[in-house]
Amino acid sequence: MRKDLRMGPRTPLFLYALILPVVLTFVIVGVFGSLFAPSPRLGIVDEGNSTIVAAAGSLDGIEVTTLSSEDTLRRMVEDNDLDAGLVLPDGFDDDVRRGDRPTLEFFIGGESLASNRIILQVTTLDLVRGVTGEEAPVTVDVVTIGDVEAVPMATRMVPLLIMYAVAIAGAFVPAASIVEEKEKRIINGVLVTPTTVTDYLAGKAGLGIVLGMATGIITLALNNAFGGHPFALVLVLLVAAVMMAEIGLILGIFAKDSNMLFALMKSAGILLFYPVVFYIWPSLPQWIAKLAPTYWFLQPIFEVGVKDASLGDVWVELVIALVWIAVLVPAVRAMSRQLEQKVAVDA
Amino acid sequence: MTLPSPRPRVSRSTIVSAIVRKDFQAFYRDRFYLWVSVIGLVAYVAIFWLLPSTVDESITIGATGAGIEQLLEQAASAAGAESEGLNVVAFDSRENLITAVEEGDLDVALGLAFPDDFFAAVAAGQPTTVTVIATSGVPDELRTAMDSFVREVAFAIGGNPLPVDYQEEILGVDRLGDQVSLREKLRPMLAFLVLLIEMLSLAGIVAAEMQTRTVTAVITTPARVSDFLAAKIIFGTLLAFGQTVILLVAIRSLSNQPVLLLTTMLLGALMVTAFALIAGAFGRDFITVIFWSMLFMIPMLIPAFGLLFPGSASLWIRAIPSYGLVETITGTTAYGEGWAEALPNLGLVAAWTVVAYIVGLGILRRKVQTL
Repeated sequence: MRKDLRMGPRTPLFLYALILPVVLTFVIVGVFGSLFAPSPRLGIVDEGNSTIVAAAGSLDGIEVTTLSSEDTLRRMVEDNDLDAGLVLPDGFDDDVRRGDRPTLEFFIGGESLASNRIILQVTTLDLVRGVTGEEAPVTVDVVTIGDVEAVPMATRMVPLLIMYAVAIAGAFVPAASIVEEKEKRIINGVLVTPTTVTDYLAGKAGLGIVLGMATGIITLALNNAFGGHPFALVLVLLVAAVMMAEIGLILGIFAKDSNMLFALMKSAGILLFYPVVFYIWPSLPQWIAKLAPTYWFLQPIFEVGVKDASLGDVWVELVIALVWIAVLVPAVRAMSRQLEQKVAVDA
Repeated sequence: MTLPSPRPRVSRSTIVSAIVRKDFQAFYRDRFYLWVSVIGLVAYVAIFWLLPSTVDESITIGATGAGIEQLLEQAASAAGAESEGLNVVAFDSRENLITAVEEGDLDVALGLAFPDDFFAAVAAGQPTTVTVIATSGVPDELRTAMDSFVREVAFAIGGNPLPVDYQEEILGVDRLGDQVSLREKLRPMLAFLVLLIEMLSLAGIVAAEMQTRTVTAVITTPARVSDFLAAKIIFGTLLAFGQTVILLVAIRSLSNQPVLLLTTMLLGALMVTAFALIAGAFGRDFITVIFWSMLFMIPMLIPAFGLLFPGSASLWIRAIPSYGLVETITGTTAYGEGWAEALPNLGLVAAWTVVAYIVGLGILRRKVQTL
């Protein structure tokens, strides 16, 4: 294991396992964080000293950009860098207060969505009303309904990111390492020393566990999903990494070469990865997700990391994950014996 | 005594085509690359047709209260809100409205519960209360806008006009009701992904020929290193271009400017082939080939991802070799652009392709000569 950890960073796959969570987080958070919930973007050119600029800046959910010239504003709106924009001429506030009804030029981007246009129009007019100091004879009372807190799409993608992180680092790296050492017959050299197959596989599993936990922690940190119980989360990640390392050993011993390993990862990968779909679309029947072993560590990670649950809240899932780990042990032992026989035949 | 007859001269084109044939045989023999190509192609076509072809850009709000539908339409008009983007669904009771909002029935994003005496109270200047009913998933900007909207309704009913002369100007082509769908936006990415997958295939074949010294065997025949390199370029380009054409046909992309689009894809195939030669020259085995290919693939996908976001691309994105390619595909398929608009972008792709070949062929030639 020390050799793998020392030599590992020189191999591309090791780097790939470490870089992938960062790249995926960037892509998924970028795409799902803003693509499916794009905030309306408003540009303002203030030629005087209007109070509207400060009021607009404090609006929730609207991106406000102040610009220095009307030409820049027009160009940005036309290029769809802004949804809409307005120019506040010098003395605009005073004119509004005096009741002179100054002209308010409101530029709308041709490619902006109708919903964004409405939101920006209505909000802007309300800001202008605010300058007059007039109070509408109505109180607006906002009531939030539903006992289930809505989880944003970017957060629902966290299980997918975690799954990638622990699967690549925890399972694929040790599996690829075993396959490579079988292909280059390094394993034959190792096993003529006092090292046993069990020692050899324990080293590979250790590598997977350390890497899987490291990439899992990096992914959770990048996604701000550490929750309020970091110790509990590390414990759950340990369970996840152990399970993935076991799967990595089985695949690594079973695969004859790199191509077969990739083919196995793709086919077995579906069985390991499919529970993440049930987080993205929570309305799907959840019992299907529970058939996969990975669900039993993904659910505690999601509960602890995203929903601030404690270890006490997820102990049932963790126990089931440990049962799965125990179930996989005989399979690892059987594969270990198979590897031992193969090495003996080769020798 | 008769002299042995001289061996027939073999033309360069015959040698190159023989190597290309061998490469195609190697490609079809390697089930991994073959399956990756076939599965990828089928998956991309399926993804394309499963994606939404329209953009729902409207907001649907539910409302209760006496005569509320007519009232809201008048108020929306007074507030300047465009009717195209705002759908109002009337409910006969507050309970039904709450149920609809909670369960997302009729796509109702949020509800406005007006008291039955709202019109009379506001007209008389008496204070009243309107309840905005929303789930926690409703974005902040929509809550803020509805808050503003209700106040504007009250101002309008109270005969209090806007304190400004509101003038609106649409800049650029108005795509209201005709927005570019996610399906259209993903078209260049899918076409480019096919090219990139083929880059992986070619890089794998080049790396394998380096490691097994096949290339050394090839150049002990009348074939030269230049024949080997030319064959690789032709093979890679044909492989990538052929599959992209299949994809473009399957996703019905050749209806507008087919010649321009095919030229673009041919240029794209040439470009990814150059990068594949670099990845193949550096790759020692399967894993390293994937790693080196990913090093090129991930940055080159960024311009295609950039299209999913509104706005113009940053300068650094424009500097990525694939930018011109992606822009041309989008311009042609989504905006109906022609050669005049595409030429600057195609020039950029051609320039990058030349640079990539100078680097790729240089590295590969040196690698072959040192074997």
